[in-house]
Amino acid sequence: MSALIEAKDLSKKYGTQVALDRANFSVQPGRIVGLIGPNGAGKTTALRAILGLTAYEGQLQVLGREPLRERAELMRDACFIADVAVLPAWLRVDHAIDFVAGVHPRFRRDRATAFLAKTDITGRRRMRELSKGMKTQVHLALTMAIDAQLLVLDEPTLGLDILARRAFYDALVNDYMDETRTILITTHQVEEVENLLTDVLFIDKGRIVLDSSLDDIATRYAAVAVAVDKLDAARAEKPFYERRLLGKVVLYFEQPNLEKLAALGEVHALSVADLFVAKLSGGAE
Amino acid sequence: MNTNIWLIRREFWENRAIWMIPAILGGLMVLTALFGQVNRISIPLQFPSHAVGGGFLLAVGGTFFVVMTVYSTWYLLDCLYADRKDRSILFWKSMPISDTTTVMSKLATALIVIPAVYFVAADLTSLLMAFILSVRASSVIGAALWHVDLWLQLQVLWLYVIVTSAIWYLPLAAYLLVVSAWAKRAVMLWSILPPIALVLAERWLFGTHVIANQLWERLAGLGRLTFHDDAGCCSWVTTVVENDTIRTPTSIWGFLNPGGFASSPETWIGAAVGVGLIVCAVQLRIRRTEA
Repeated sequence: MSALIEAKDLSKKYGTQVALDRANFSVQPGRIVGLIGPNGAGKTTALRAILGLTAYEGQLQVLGREPLRERAELMRDACFIADVAVLPAWLRVDHAIDFVAGVHPRFRRDRATAFLAKTDITGRRRMRELSKGMKTQVHLALTMAIDAQLLVLDEPTLGLDILARRAFYDALVNDYMDETRTILITTHQVEEVENLLTDVLFIDKGRIVLDSSLDDIATRYAAVAVAVDKLDAARAEKPFYERRLLGKVVLYFEQPNLEKLAALGEVHALSVADLFVAKLSGGAE
Repeated sequence: MNTNIWLIRREFWENRAIWMIPAILGGLMVLTALFGQVNRISIPLQFPSHAVGGGFLLAVGGTFFVVMTVYSTWYLLDCLYADRKDRSILFWKSMPISDTTTVMSKLATALIVIPAVYFVAADLTSLLMAFILSVRASSVIGAALWHVDLWLQLQVLWLYVIVTSAIWYLPLAAYLLVVSAWAKRAVMLWSILPPIALVLAERWLFGTHVIANQLWERLAGLGRLTFHDDAGCCSWVTTVVENDTIRTPTSIWGFLNPGGFASSPETWIGAAVGVGLIVCAVQLRIRRTEA
């Protein structure tokens, strides 16, 4: 099957500031991809381009369409939550459901109402009367009731407390995810999404610096905690990152010789967060 | 129900003022008729009954029309900007609705839906007031308010004015939409500044007033095109009241000049400019999501 999203030399400038600098990436169907980067790395710009919300340079195909020109058609098969709390204050919950049911051919009303029935949000309330967490639940109910091939989430839990964040991801995992869905999610809280993802895209200064599946990360990278006396021997294996920790030095290796490393110290796998910090800070801490 | 109807319903949810302002205005007028000292109003016996009835209907309708013009202007300036200001544009754009459809729904609301609401409100208010006044005021006034032909004529007049103003004011409405789709803040200011700047720049650079004249012609020139004003065309009645001679029309039919309006190049040049500006507003709506 061909890629769901295919970006080639995707670029975007705001005045003189470069938000995306010839970024290349693709997203395959059925994957759950985290677009991860520090603030100002170009995550949101990339998503805005994918969703047809902003003009861009370079080539971009999403579900075989050109997003900016064909946003309306694209939105039949893709849905998104860009930031929390964007439902307008004057909108009533029942009207929101009526509206989406009226204009969206793939909206399943029963699914949205079933989801909301589990909360204590009633239909006649307006968004301005709801808390941020409740508003997010309404938005999630509306979005997850759409039978879309692609779901895009941009910092979906920003500004939510820990309970609301947990509720959000529980709902996503339990009520939405199955093998037919493709999800692209941006966040700067890597730990929160790490166990959900199948792939990661690291983005920094508008460029993709890592494009990998989590399985690859597990086999391709390793970290070794070595005592100071074995540091020189470990450095000979060419680590790409060093980190001092409680009197030991943790060294990160790409395509490591595991037998040699095991002799030097305790070997463990790299988490996405570890790899993220290493890739984006470059060299030693 | 199709998308367009949902978009119009959405406008009613968002802008409750669309029906609340005419409801309150009508309510106030009806209250005045109910509790005002209408029994003290008297009119000279010589005054033609038709003129009194027509004057009443025009006064009610005219009041609604003025309020509607102010509200519609504000609505057009706000409608595309409001979504960007509260960031709800990120929700609306997640729906499979094109930006052209969205912009057209705003334009249709301002030029068709809002006038229709005011049309109904003005009619209901006139009916209620006429009914109350025929009970409470003098019998002369009571009788003057129930000329069926006048009521019919006023319906036609209203519809005629709604249709001609929708076409005539299209460029202005579309200009307001462009500002609403473009401005990062202060839409009111941004709507007024560019024309003023252009008028001043022209005056300063060339010492001419072409832009100012064109703008004034667009704002105030509709009546000259849509109505005959030559005295010979219509059926007039002359009444002498004390020392004054009053000439009043017996029928509006002679006044309407749809042919003149439709054959005037100004009408269609303006409409073409309006279409161009609508295209601009749609393009801005596609590209601008941030306020």
